[in-house]
Amino acid sequence: MERDSFNLGEDMKKELVDVAASKSFNSMSILEDIKFKLHENEFLVIVGPSGCGKTTMANLLAGLLKPTSGHITMNGEEVDPKVHNISIVFQEPSCIPWRTLWDDITMGLQIKGADKKTIEKRGKEVIKLVGLDGFEKYFPKQISGGMKQRVAIARAYATDPDFLIMDEPFGHLDAQTRYLMQIEIMRIWEKEKKTVVFITNNIEEAVYLATRIIVFSKLPARIKGEYEINLPRPRDLTSLEFLKARAEITEQCEVVG
Amino acid sequence: MEISGFHRIRGKMEKNTGMEKTKTVGYNVLSLFGFLFVWTFVSWLMQSPFFPSPWLVFKAFIDLLIEGDIEDVKLGMHVVQSLLRIFGGFGAACLLGIPLGLLMGLYPRVYDSTKAIIEPVRFIPPVAWIPLVIVLLIGFSRFVFVIWLGAFFPIFIGTLLSVRGVNPLHVDVPKSFGASRMYIVRKIIIPSVLPDIFTSMRVGLGIAWECIMAAEMIGGERVGIGIMILKYAQLIRMEVIIVGIVIIGLIGFCLNEIFILVEKRVFRWKEIVSI
Repeated sequence: MERDSFNLGEDMKKELVDVAASKSFNSMSILEDIKFKLHENEFLVIVGPSGCGKTTMANLLAGLLKPTSGHITMNGEEVDPKVHNISIVFQEPSCIPWRTLWDDITMGLQIKGADKKTIEKRGKEVIKLVGLDGFEKYFPKQISGGMKQRVAIARAYATDPDFLIMDEPFGHLDAQTRYLMQIEIMRIWEKEKKTVVFITNNIEEAVYLATRIIVFSKLPARIKGEYEINLPRPRDLTSLEFLKARAEITEQCEVVG
Repeated sequence: MEISGFHRIRGKMEKNTGMEKTKTVGYNVLSLFGFLFVWTFVSWLMQSPFFPSPWLVFKAFIDLLIEGDIEDVKLGMHVVQSLLRIFGGFGAACLLGIPLGLLMGLYPRVYDSTKAIIEPVRFIPPVAWIPLVIVLLIGFSRFVFVIWLGAFFPIFIGTLLSVRGVNPLHVDVPKSFGASRMYIVRKIIIPSVLPDIFTSMRVGLGIAWECIMAAEMIGGERVGIGIMILKYAQLIRMEVIIVGIVIIGLIGFCLNEIFILVEKRVFRWKEIVSI
């Protein structure tokens, strides 16, 4: 059933990231022979059971960890945050407590040496995008969990990354906020057309967002399956095709049975 | 209303922080008077020269302030001299402890390779050094050294542990944008450890007071709170001894309050719980 609705026209897009890597910590194997390619404007979702090495995958893609063997390249070069314009949204709340939301959100721009005018302009744009305008001078302790995650997303978007990694970004949110954030992230993705790797253990979320889904196995993680999702957007969570896709991937994930 | 098993169904909680503060001050004044009353009462019961009343202590305080002690050294001089020694030793402890703690926190190798020196020295009480200090050092440097010994380790260890405890995620955020190590140290590590450094400085200051009393009571000098207490201990003049003790407590209290005030100002981003 893999790649059952293959679409050549979509896949002709430029290849951006090439992954062929294994990772182990000490002698414990986490990721085994993970191979996939990522094309521009793709929204790739990685799903897998919890504790299967998805966060390790995210950190490898962001260049924060190095693979034990193999390679992860972006435009043919080894992935490196000092060279490539990458952003990552971490799973855990990552607001910097002593920075105001404004300083936090524009941190990437400051590090990358953007001039004052650009920081001002882009900062305002992304703050508006995630609906936090008016909260620029607030500290993280003064805002809610959902807002903190939006800060992290705004910060990741601010640098206009060529490659955006999101590691279970909505994992800590309640169902309602999560749903709203999914709609929001789709709106932003459709508007700014970034290349995204989105990690989650929520299959409904995966089918709702993805252009392609990769399924990880239990630890040590291998790729168990890959799906192309071509359902029209905005996707209807109750449509027959949606439910079919969801059921099949769920089965693949060993969540059922 | 998150704490307890009840909650308000409707109605606004009136919270007047100005009012709250006045109340707190009021209760403190009340309990202070209560304490003074009990003290007076007990001293009246005892009728002993070794148990002076608050009034006698207060008179001794005024005398010391205006007339000076048996060697004509005024109370102000004693306080200033002790404070100078404190700030000398405490300053030296900060100047050495904070950078060393940062360095060894950032490069655990340095700490691991010098652990055999640092750790045993840490457990030697400053008082144990005093006989050595009496022989080797004289005057001001003697006090500075003993205070430095006492205040250095809490500050050094506090800083070191704090650097190691920096949230790795806060480091990963700038790293993921390609930040330099310099940026991470300046913008993440230092701001993150500053509150802990402040706390360990307060701890160090408390120990500095303990050390100066021990060092001053060795004798050999004429001025200093500890020396003043010692002079009158030999004369068994309890009211003056109590003046000295109370002064030490009050100065420590004031310094601590100043620290907390600064902390609250500087670390507005943090919920500060300080004692």
